[in-house]
Amino acid sequence: MTEPFRVPLIIRGEIIDDAEIEHGGRRGGVSFHAPDIAKHIARLPLRTPSQMADLYALSFDDILDYLVELGPRLDFGQNRHVQEAFRLSCITSGLSESILRHHYSHLGAMFDRTEMTRMMERSCGIDYLEGWVDQGPSMFTGLSARTRAFGARCVHVIAGNAPIVSILTVIRNALTRSDAIIKLPSNDPLTAVALVRTMVEMAPDHPITRHISVAYWKGGDEAIEAAIYDPRGVEKIIAWGGFDSVKHITKYLQPGIDLITQDPKLSGTIIGKEAFADEATIRSVARRLALDVGAQNQEGCVSARVIYVETGTDEEGLERANRLGELTFAALQKLPEHLSTPHKAFDHALKEEIAAVRLQDEEYRLFGGRDNEGAIIVSQEEYPVDFSRQLACRVGNIVPIDTVETAVRSVNAYTQTVGIFPEALKAKLRDRLAFQGAQRIVSLGGAATMQHNMEKQDAIEPVRRMCKWVTEESADGAMLEALAG
Amino acid sequence: MSQYFEQLLADPTSFHDAPYDEAFKLTIEQIERLHLEGARKRFAQLRPGLSVLDKLAREQGIEMIEKIDDIAPLLFPHTVYKSYPISYLERSRFDKLTKWLGGLTTTDISNVDATGIESIDDWLDLLDAETPLTVAHTSGTTGKLSFVPRTKEQWTQTIVHSAIIIRDWWGRNSGPDILKNKIPIIIPGYRYGAAATQRGNGIQIDIYAGGEENALFMYPDARFSADVASLAGRLRAAEARGEAGIQDIPQVLLDRRESLLALEKRRPEDVRHFFDEAQRRFGGKDVYVTAMWAILFDWAEEGLKRGIKNIFGPGSVLLTGGGKKGKDMPDDWREQVLEFLGFSNFYEMYATSEMMGLCMMCEHGNYHIPPVIVPFLLDPATGKPLPRKDGTTGRFAGLDLMPNTYWAGLITGDEITLSGWEKPCACGRTGPHVVPPVRRYSEKEGGDDRIVCAGAPEAHDRALEFLAELSM
Repeated sequence: MTEPFRVPLIIRGEIIDDAEIEHGGRRGGVSFHAPDIAKHIARLPLRTPSQMADLYALSFDDILDYLVELGPRLDFGQNRHVQEAFRLSCITSGLSESILRHHYSHLGAMFDRTEMTRMMERSCGIDYLEGWVDQGPSMFTGLSARTRAFGARCVHVIAGNAPIVSILTVIRNALTRSDAIIKLPSNDPLTAVALVRTMVEMAPDHPITRHISVAYWKGGDEAIEAAIYDPRGVEKIIAWGGFDSVKHITKYLQPGIDLITQDPKLSGTIIGKEAFADEATIRSVARRLALDVGAQNQEGCVSARVIYVETGTDEEGLERANRLGELTFAALQKLPEHLSTPHKAFDHALKEEIAAVRLQDEEYRLFGGRDNEGAIIVSQEEYPVDFSRQLACRVGNIVPIDTVETAVRSVNAYTQTVGIFPEALKAKLRDRLAFQGAQRIVSLGGAATMQHNMEKQDAIEPVRRMCKWVTEESADGAMLEALAG
Repeated sequence: MSQYFEQLLADPTSFHDAPYDEAFKLTIEQIERLHLEGARKRFAQLRPGLSVLDKLAREQGIEMIEKIDDIAPLLFPHTVYKSYPISYLERSRFDKLTKWLGGLTTTDISNVDATGIESIDDWLDLLDAETPLTVAHTSGTTGKLSFVPRTKEQWTQTIVHSAIIIRDWWGRNSGPDILKNKIPIIIPGYRYGAAATQRGNGIQIDIYAGGEENALFMYPDARFSADVASLAGRLRAAEARGEAGIQDIPQVLLDRRESLLALEKRRPEDVRHFFDEAQRRFGGKDVYVTAMWAILFDWAEEGLKRGIKNIFGPGSVLLTGGGKKGKDMPDDWREQVLEFLGFSNFYEMYATSEMMGLCMMCEHGNYHIPPVIVPFLLDPATGKPLPRKDGTTGRFAGLDLMPNTYWAGLITGDEITLSGWEKPCACGRTGPHVVPPVRRYSEKEGGDDRIVCAGAPEAHDRALEFLAELSM
């Protein structure tokens, strides 16, 4: 039996927790209770833009002060809301308890003053957030302009595969001086709640607290979504997720609503022939590759799935690819448990595919894949497995190739990160990979373990796009009047 | 009774034309003995000639079937019948595909020279012509076709078997004997093709209808092409390889996608023609109709809209199954179909394309598993067999003892509940039965609004959507 989870509705500082409706049958058999959103729907969107004014009484430093104060309050040892979110995630998430414990123990780390400042400097420029920035000379003599980045009234339809998504949403909303309605995902309905509850406890009347709401409704519920996705109360929708999640939303698009989609993506790896220079290099490459496949249990869009290796496809080449497969599988089994563990809910359909691969030993060499320990499948020809898009739960597919051309041309608009070895190959390929569709090109091993400038996300700069870039122009009155003839 | 039992024990394949009602009078002890001895026999007989089964047995370390649960680790995941790499198709390596298929049947097909073959349809025709096999493929809605190496003899047996079921299901000789008395057959689908639904057409025309003139199809001249059915999977595999893959898609395949769109445009005309012919040639007559419910409902809805109902005679029969298949149908869909058809004698089944036996629905709504199918419920998490206890729910798996040239032991994607081990069904039939609902695990795990950042959204393709409708 699982404990009864309650997912409150929080509207701009007001917590409603009557648990009137049960939402059941989710992963892990978990169900939770949430208020009937229909009863409160009228109050969710911010219909009066004048209410945004309070955010402009705050300086950027004031906002940073608020967030920096919030960080330590999310301490896993103390904060019962965070603890509850962790408990529910242990049931609904694809991440194991040890990995989640690591995440939830470090929620506060993202609220670092320097890092937040850098992020906003890179994405928007703090001077633009703080005031009107002169735009320099114009083609019209005497015309000058100043631009400022303003927050918008947004709905965030967030993903639930890792708590970082909720954290980024809260931080980005505050720093851009926006108003957020967070639509909670059924696979993690409590992390955003924990953050916002803590904000309410910390500063119930603070403008930042009063400009964030969280709500769970069943995605696609027309009665609710028609009322929320209305340009009179919402200017932008930031939607994570795949076709179904976005499809619901596109029904409501009309002039006045800007949709920012953060589509699901897949990531891969390209390993050049230099990896096979000597035994020590192969071993080191295998350890780094195991990180790209295994970190975060391969639950992320950044996780490597298909790995192209420039071994050649002759007998010796296949032997090299198989050797890398064997070593990578061994390294996968040794990853530290805060990064990676055997998957607790191994995908059954994938398991069936692996079972068939095991009986098909002419085409594939299989390492692991017996239980839920993960696997490395080495193709014995230049083709990935037919189920390459289903690879998950720490299952990678090594594909031997004669030339890196094949790998470059496999990259498309659904490719997020490409991990590359060696560095020289990365420098050589990065332009081409970029116009093929890749969005982040990293050193092998760095795909799912660390990340710079996360605000660039999927090469679409969502933080910048969350803002409204408003311009104020000045021209000499006499000159303007002269135009009237 | 005893002789009936002895015969099944000696040769489970003989079940195909044995009186069907007798099967559900066996005692549970007899059924269990049939399961164990039949499984032992099939395993010993097939293992030496089936390299894939042999490999699985070695993997699992199973040499002997001591007890019935020893069979469970030897059941194939359903992926086995589609475990060939799609790249064989892209590169026209039908020689390799033949070799792959050869590992799944004891029928010797090593004489087949598939070099130069470029399409699946041609490959299937070649096997038809040069081997005892008539390979059936699945519909491909999941993206990749399975190929089941059934023999010509087995196909005839399955068609005879269906007729025996119609005759005996509601009691010995309770239904028409369509083997003895010819009956027109009406099929709202393709006349030709190698999908499981078309493979029986020719045999049904021969032994039920007695000739083409006594049969009506929605598409009387068209072939449901395996190459078209494979489109979704091949395009998906190609797209996963990016630009490299897209350039490898043969023109013939892209042309077939176009022809599919042309077929869709022509469909209203084909449907109208089918109605006219059904009324003109077979109106008021007793006929045999077979199709999945979802297809029948489309047909009935269209007909009722045109004010057409009670088309056929009251002595007609319908063999159907498949449920709603995810289609949006009203609650009274069965009634609408029957009102349109004009008769109420229908036989509803639950079946999988790799097995020959069918599980028929009784008057209490349960599907009865024939004694030649050894059913298992597997724990969805561990894959271990669950005890034979009434009311147990799990993943359905089974070994059909009828096929004697390939291993019809398979794990399905269905969640079902089994009863009948301890207490027979209220209808009086003995042996295990499936208590509805039957659910797909894939639907169950899909969730509502689980949103993750990993994945690759697929562009929606009108032609492929139509294909999905066609291949229900």
